[in-house]
Amino acid sequence: MDFDSIFLSLKLALWTIALMIPLGVWCAYRLVNAGSFKVWLEAGLALPLVLPPTVLGYYFLVGFGGTTVLGIPLVFSFTGILIASLIVNIPFAIQPIQRAFESIDPQIREAAKVCGLSPWQAFRFIELPLIWRGILSASALTFAHTLGEFGVVLMVGGAIPGETKTASIAIYDRVQSFDTAGAGMLSLLLLAISLIAIALSYGLFNPRYRQNQLGRN
Amino acid sequence: MLKVQIKQAYPMPLQIQLECLPGELHALVGPSGSGKTSTLRVIAGLMQADEGHIQCADMNWFSAAHAQVEINIPTAKRSCGFLFQQYALFPHLSALENIAISLQNAYPNTKERRVIAQQWLEKLGISALAQRMPHELSGGQQQRVALARALAREPQVLLLDEPFSAIDIPTRHALYKTLASIRKELNIPILLVTHDLKEASLLADRITVIDQGISLQTASPRVLFQKPRNSRVAQLVGINNIYTGIFSAGSLSWDGCNRVLQVLDKGKIPAGQKVAWVIPQSGISVHEQAKPNSLVATVHQLSSIGQIASIQFQIKDSDVFVNWEASSAEVKRLSIQLGSEAHIEFDTKQIHIMPLRPINDPRRLQESSQSS
Repeated sequence: MDFDSIFLSLKLALWTIALMIPLGVWCAYRLVNAGSFKVWLEAGLALPLVLPPTVLGYYFLVGFGGTTVLGIPLVFSFTGILIASLIVNIPFAIQPIQRAFESIDPQIREAAKVCGLSPWQAFRFIELPLIWRGILSASALTFAHTLGEFGVVLMVGGAIPGETKTASIAIYDRVQSFDTAGAGMLSLLLLAISLIAIALSYGLFNPRYRQNQLGRN
Repeated sequence: MLKVQIKQAYPMPLQIQLECLPGELHALVGPSGSGKTSTLRVIAGLMQADEGHIQCADMNWFSAAHAQVEINIPTAKRSCGFLFQQYALFPHLSALENIAISLQNAYPNTKERRVIAQQWLEKLGISALAQRMPHELSGGQQQRVALARALAREPQVLLLDEPFSAIDIPTRHALYKTLASIRKELNIPILLVTHDLKEASLLADRITVIDQGISLQTASPRVLFQKPRNSRVAQLVGINNIYTGIFSAGSLSWDGCNRVLQVLDKGKIPAGQKVAWVIPQSGISVHEQAKPNSLVATVHQLSSIGQIASIQFQIKDSDVFVNWEASSAEVKRLSIQLGSEAHIEFDTKQIHIMPLRPINDPRRLQESSQSS
């Protein structure tokens, strides 16, 4: 079993969550209060959902081909695939959090104001605890999506073992070299991890689903 | 004291002027969509008026002239307690925490906040519910928590937005008592929005009638019912005998009826002026036999609800109707039946004469904007 690629995928997914979720919360908060440009902003942020990953990877290569950050080149490096992963996960991280913000009754926000809370206090004490399901859902989706990401990672990072060769690329490599048993094991493991993450997102964090379950009992 | 003078055109036209004294309970009454809640929201800073000023206890909260805002204190810094119609309790916080959060800035110490919040719960008789979440509380209990939250900050003004509309009658009466006792203790201006006139006249010292965003009259409940400023106010306060005529030196003609009434001339209305006039229920008496100044009328409509009967008389040889309410026993005593005759007498001292269309009547404003 190619544990290096599994660990690399997990490392990439966790870094993506760590960086993307705070950014997602900020973007979603701004989007909820955005004015007339809201539709265009939402459309722009949803683009990674509809664009082929190779198109994103191509633009990344063209845009950052010779760029380095603190001496580290962005292409064919972990930093590069992390930045690419952040970009492709924008809609998966922002949308669930935005929906969670939108589900807060506007009167609750007004009540926070008349209770004398500053915007930061209202966010910290009122809104953030009310959107935690959205944050967990976004985290699970981002995690599962990063584990399965193939096109962009291959275009930007290639397949350098221990650096950019994630589990999904390792599966591709195994298939190319007719190691179907190895590919099958890795696939099964990725399938299981992704299923658990999505099930957590849909089940545990979704109150409506839980209520339905209780209702049936 | 709370002084409000505001004007706005969007999202709904508002032209409100009112004052509320410390310890006074001032009701804003009007039909749905008349701008009562918007007025409270502007006072709290949740909405911004185009022009005017809002002053509370010598502090200017808002001041704007010609769409230029000079002062606009943010909601969080206006010392006002606001009780929302749907209570707006924070769903993730317990009853105690809902109150304690409003003390966040006044008391940095968490323990202190919790002690004060608990004291408020005790004051409102719900200390046993401290750890309950909002969804575990009944409507009346939620409202008490919301009221405690609004009061815990020791606000300089209390704004109540239809607080009694969503609760059952026994709970409502219990809350009337709570409000009365709190009111004595606090000595701050209290504004109450309601569409229920009975509730307003029961609780309020003064009532401001609002229609289509315009404050039409501010008066004590007694004055409002006896001397409405104009026919629209009379309509809104539920006076259903409103007529028009021409007033000339103590003689009041009655449109649609060939009869002139002799009323007291206070010298306020010029001779020959077209006027609206009203007569309260207490100024109408009905007899079986004719009296010196009585009018002959026939019973046009008769409907009974429980022990109360509502009768509409049509004055003979006219197209004028007079509405009258009486007990079923009184109706029986007078042998009132559909189509029967009766004799109606007016106590002319109780006739109140008003200008037909005062300057701030919304209909007049609408007419002038349409014609220009």
